[in-house]
Amino acid sequence: MSTLRVENLTKTYGDVTALRDVSFEIEDEFVVLLGQSGAGKSTMLRCINGLTEPTSGEIYLDGEPLSGSRPTVGMIFQQHNLVEGVSAYLNALTGALDRATLIESLFQWNDRADKLRALEALETVGLLDEAHQRVSRMSGGQQQRVGIARALVQDPDLLLADEPVASLDPASAETVMRYLKKAATVHEATALVSLHQVNVAAHFGERFVGLRDGRLAFDIGRDELTQERVDDLYGDVETVALAERHAVDGSPAVEDRRVRP
Amino acid sequence: MSPRPRSASGRIREYFGLADLGESAVERKLTELKRRKTVRRLWTAVAAVALAILLDFSLDRAEFSLGMLVQYFPEFVRALGDYFPPTTYYGIPFVDVRQYWAFILAEDLFHQSVVTVSIAFAGTVIGLPGALLLGVLASERVVPYPFNFVFRLTMSTIRSIPALVWALIFIPLGGVSPFTGTLAIIVDTTGYLGRLFTDELEEIETGPIEGVRSTGANKSQTITFGMLSQVFRQFIAWIAFVLEHNVRVAITLGLIGAGGLGLVLDTQRRTFNYTEMMACIIVIVLLSGTVELLSQRLRSYLRDDEKGEADSRGFLRILVETPRKIAESALK
Repeated sequence: MSTLRVENLTKTYGDVTALRDVSFEIEDEFVVLLGQSGAGKSTMLRCINGLTEPTSGEIYLDGEPLSGSRPTVGMIFQQHNLVEGVSAYLNALTGALDRATLIESLFQWNDRADKLRALEALETVGLLDEAHQRVSRMSGGQQQRVGIARALVQDPDLLLADEPVASLDPASAETVMRYLKKAATVHEATALVSLHQVNVAAHFGERFVGLRDGRLAFDIGRDELTQERVDDLYGDVETVALAERHAVDGSPAVEDRRVRP
Repeated sequence: MSPRPRSASGRIREYFGLADLGESAVERKLTELKRRKTVRRLWTAVAAVALAILLDFSLDRAEFSLGMLVQYFPEFVRALGDYFPPTTYYGIPFVDVRQYWAFILAEDLFHQSVVTVSIAFAGTVIGLPGALLLGVLASERVVPYPFNFVFRLTMSTIRSIPALVWALIFIPLGGVSPFTGTLAIIVDTTGYLGRLFTDELEEIETGPIEGVRSTGANKSQTITFGMLSQVFRQFIAWIAFVLEHNVRVAITLGLIGAGGLGLVLDTQRRTFNYTEMMACIIVIVLLSGTVELLSQRLRSYLRDDEKGEADSRGFLRILVETPRKIAESALK
């Protein structure tokens, strides 16, 4: 059980302001971060993860200030960022690096508990039988699931995911999202997932944080996600185009009636 | 998790995946992974043994021995004193550069450098048409599959004979002279540069070729405008690279008597004039370094121009900016 609190977060890159004074608090939920490209979703996740230093503002996890990368925060990247030449098992085991010395990790002398945890994480994402497979031989969806397993081995309180399904086909995207949600539930981790497919977001999200031009547009529950809110965030044209595209490529239908144009 | 076995042999069996770790799916998979790793280790061991045997055999045939190194090391140290004659400038010990300079002037090494570069340049330019012809004809895009192999085979035969050996072959034709060296480089360039051209042509895009063909252009027009114009810049870059390579080849050709810096170097080696030898080597380093720098600049200019940012910066600025660029890309 953990609480993420973001207070007055601001990030500027030179003249460009990516985030302006954003504050919100989430607790034990599967939260979806919504917004157009360039709205500041990635910057937000990178700030929380410690990959980017915020210009000002504070981030707290369970009341403790977060700074730098730490094992309690697991990150899932759009391009999965796995080491492609080695097995899924060894990639998952990287999540346990924090608990091993350099020599131990070089020779895979990790605790048996960590080794079993890596395999359990792969089991959670449905890849136990493929554990010995080289990641480069796996499909994009499977690779992303290995990415989830790696984050799980860290035993995180907070799971971050930056557009985890953006480069996947609709069917794989749904599988990956299902496993991501299962992973967060099993590990009782708070999840913050940025997505740009509104239908996927509406299907899996329990809470929605919207960003527009680096500002907080909304921080709402499932019941409050209305078509107006989405239109407001993306602009009418974009949403309609989005709905049309999904209708054409046969991706899963929008589950939530309120988000259907 | 099952309790760990107490006996040492039980633990070893577990480590190599020969004993079950437990009943659950995850534990069974870990056992399987350990077993796979054991198999991989066995193969690694086999490969290591094979490598060791091969290395031992090679060292034996190459007559490489540590004993030789130890026995003749003092001699090499003595030679180092000749290579770098010591002297003092205002009481500070340093290499006697004046001895080098005297030899460079006496033998007119600048003139010899010109001879070496001339062999390389003439060889490259005269070899170029042949390389272009063979290179283009060897491409599958130009000549259909089985027939292009005639040209590929020609080039690989040429390449299988080193330039040095080509020079030996041409001795009856031109004696041991710069002329023979140039002939050798012409032939070598045909095989070497031609291959680079072929590889470049295999990678070009089909779109522009179809675009040109769709206008009703005939075969040779299609090749010229659809294919060659696409790779023009890359070809220039390869020519610069081969010219650079040929300067080094011309130096080695000198060692068997084909003139230029290499010939002077060989003469000094035969007479054990190590100081003079080192003077030659210094000129060689400067010469190939300069040619390489010029060719690199030309190639990077062509590359940058391709990206639409013509590079007209001076040499000094490049010297200043290069470390910064390296630092930047390292920090990315």
